[in-house]
Amino acid sequence: AEVEETLKRIQAHKGVIATMVINVEGIPIRTTLDNSTTVQYAGLLTQLTMKARSAVRDIDPQNDLTFLRIRSKKHEIMVAPDKEYLLIVIQNPSE
Amino acid sequence: LQVVDDEGRDVTPRPLFRPDPDAAAPKQSQLSASSDDSGATASGFLSACSMHEALGADLPCPSSVSKSNSSTMESVLDEAVKPGSQQDTAASLPDVQVRQEEKKEQLTEEDLDRRVDVYLTETETLWILDMPSVVVSAESEGAGRVLERNRVYADICKNRPGNDRFVEKMMQTINGAAKNKEAQCDRVLVEDKGTVVASWDLYNFFNASEAEPASKAEGSRAPAESSISDTSKEHDQTAAAAPDRGSITPAAVSERAGLARIHKEETCHLEAILRSENFQQDLLFMERILMENIFQPKLAAYRQFPVLTEPAVTSGAGSTVVAAKEAKQEEHDKGEKDKEEQKETRTDPSVLSDLKETSEGNVPPRLERLWAYSCDLTKGHNVSSMARSRVNPDLLAVGYGAFDFKEQKRGLVCCWSLKNPMWPERIFQCEHGVTALDFSAASSSLLAVGLYDGTVAIYDVRSCSSTTVLDSGEHADKHTGPVWQLRWVEQDRGTTEDDKRERLISVSADGRITTWLTWRGLDCKDLMKINRTGSEKKRFPVKKGRKSEPLISQWAAGTCFDFHPKDPDFYLAGTEEGLIHKCSCSCSTRFLETYRGHKGPVYKVAWNPFSTDTFLSCSADWSIILWHQRSQTPLLAFSSTTTVVHDVTWSPKSASVFAAANESRVEIWDLSVSILDPVAARSAEPEAKCTSVLFAGSANCLLVGDSRGGVGVFELQGLAAPSCTKV
Repeated sequence: AEVEETLKRIQAHKGVIATMVINVEGIPIRTTLDNSTTVQYAGLLTQLTMKARSAVRDIDPQNDLTFLRIRSKKHEIMVAPDKEYLLIVIQNPSE
Repeated sequence: LQVVDDEGRDVTPRPLFRPDPDAAAPKQSQLSASSDDSGATASGFLSACSMHEALGADLPCPSSVSKSNSSTMESVLDEAVKPGSQQDTAASLPDVQVRQEEKKEQLTEEDLDRRVDVYLTETETLWILDMPSVVVSAESEGAGRVLERNRVYADICKNRPGNDRFVEKMMQTINGAAKNKEAQCDRVLVEDKGTVVASWDLYNFFNASEAEPASKAEGSRAPAESSISDTSKEHDQTAAAAPDRGSITPAAVSERAGLARIHKEETCHLEAILRSENFQQDLLFMERILMENIFQPKLAAYRQFPVLTEPAVTSGAGSTVVAAKEAKQEEHDKGEKDKEEQKETRTDPSVLSDLKETSEGNVPPRLERLWAYSCDLTKGHNVSSMARSRVNPDLLAVGYGAFDFKEQKRGLVCCWSLKNPMWPERIFQCEHGVTALDFSAASSSLLAVGLYDGTVAIYDVRSCSSTTVLDSGEHADKHTGPVWQLRWVEQDRGTTEDDKRERLISVSADGRITTWLTWRGLDCKDLMKINRTGSEKKRFPVKKGRKSEPLISQWAAGTCFDFHPKDPDFYLAGTEEGLIHKCSCSCSTRFLETYRGHKGPVYKVAWNPFSTDTFLSCSADWSIILWHQRSQTPLLAFSSTTTVVHDVTWSPKSASVFAAANESRVEIWDLSVSILDPVAARSAEPEAKCTSVLFAGSANCLLVGDSRGGVGVFELQGLAAPSCTKV
């Protein structure tokens, strides 16, 4: 419904390369990339998210990770982690 | 108890304990009785015993000494030998007994001197152990036989080896066939498990029991804490499956059992994820962040942040732009900083130069278009009014509705946020075209909307639904013409009902200026009815009912109003006739002043916020007129175009700058620079008419709404420094 609309809008934004929704086991729920790439991203980003969350919470256990952005030369990977899923958007902002 | 050996001799072992003979007196009779029973004693003794009895009952019990006197007698077994009994004491000769007894009785002191004869006898040999020897003396009678037997045995032994009569035969016990049987127990599964426990694991563990399920459980992925991490609020129904899902502990049995369950629940769980609230929120953030990425330089310009290379400044700019989202964490900011530094190098040089401070003064004043708020929904609608939220100046409400009667369609109110220029935060659908908007200052989430059919509705922007909080649709006194302007005004008059309360004032084409009271439903009260005034000949208000001209209605259509910034009692009202009336709230029948000058409907009046005696008005006669409130003739008139001027507004910063929107372009006038021409002007896109204009926030930005549904955000550049002097 509204979720679908929002997802579509996000995908249509300027510079967005890919959008993925992945559950905790790395199974893609929604993705705009091919399966192998998605699985690769999923595996790597879940680990990174766990590490990031661990880092945040080690410093202050009452804190928690809400968003993660990785800026690289070519594009930016944005991860919204949650207990049950990971929302990943890859954008090339300089387009 | 009696032991008899082969010869019938009584060899009962006698007790070692010899009782006192004195105490054995009553046993005498027993002895005699028992003596009859035995049959193994020598008859002689028996008779002797009976003789004892015959001798008399006065015999005392024989002493142990007397017993020892007889040797043969001792072999006679007492009939009934009981340990400690006195019966065995009768084994002595009677005469000896008698003698003994007599001796004993007569022992007196003279006896001590008498010679006493003591007879010693030897007791019978007591055979305790008798092992007959196997050795026989060669001289005994049986020796011959023994020798003979020995000899025969030796012969046999000699003959044995070769003799047929001796056969050696070996026998073997049957050894049962040995059989190895292996048994195997079930394999014991051994797992090595290690885990790293971080400090938040401990925190989770201790707090999980306390924290109510509503608390968002931290996603602890350590297997040791898997059971704890599943106390999450949203998916309690899958809590049973969750331990299997979340943990990586391969408990073999439970895993097999749980797999089937997991599979079922996961498919529906995936869908549930997409629908969960968290997901929607995350989508929202993601969209905003995407927007920010796309629009970042523009947004920075909006905020007047110099986009410099110093990390401190840029991170400040970035974080402020995204601001008010307390959810953003350090990672975000760090990534932000890096990203902005990168962006630095790639930012369009023209934009950079534009963003430098405009105090250089070399750059001619112009409007730089930053972005536009528009989306598919709003395309095709005419922007009729815009309002900024008083609390959050970045929140913009835009009303969409046509001005013309012919173009009426359903209206729309959208609330746009700076964070997402491509999709409004709130969308409210309205029955009719929206013609006026205002945010309330007292309760910052109320938005009053005026519609083309005269309805005044109040929405709460906190909710997403399109239902109004209050609606004047069914009100008896509602406006019958389009509501052209709405304003929430603070009234601090001291009347009983509405002191210090905000009132909603509206003006509409049916000629009424009404106050709407918003407590206890929507109720209205007329402030003023605008009388039609005649032509210029008559300089005084026409009394009601005067029929100098055929009038369709007595009331003139009001199109706009503005309250005096300093004194909320006065207000100006513009009419469709081209007249501007100054009125007072306390007097509802007549005007204080009337200003004539316009030849067409006055679309907007605006008091100068700094020098409060002057006001501007714009009208459909292509002109903008500056008035002084004490003079009934215009001070200055500006006409630079040949199109209808829809909107005019003063700059909040400078006393001499105002912006005007007419159908072909947006103009910025600076009266300190020139009164003949606008200082800056920007043509609207073709086929789009600028219909409303608003200064944005504290920034030098202008929001311009046009008839195609877009609201453009323009940055003013090159304007002179603001001044507060009077025109």
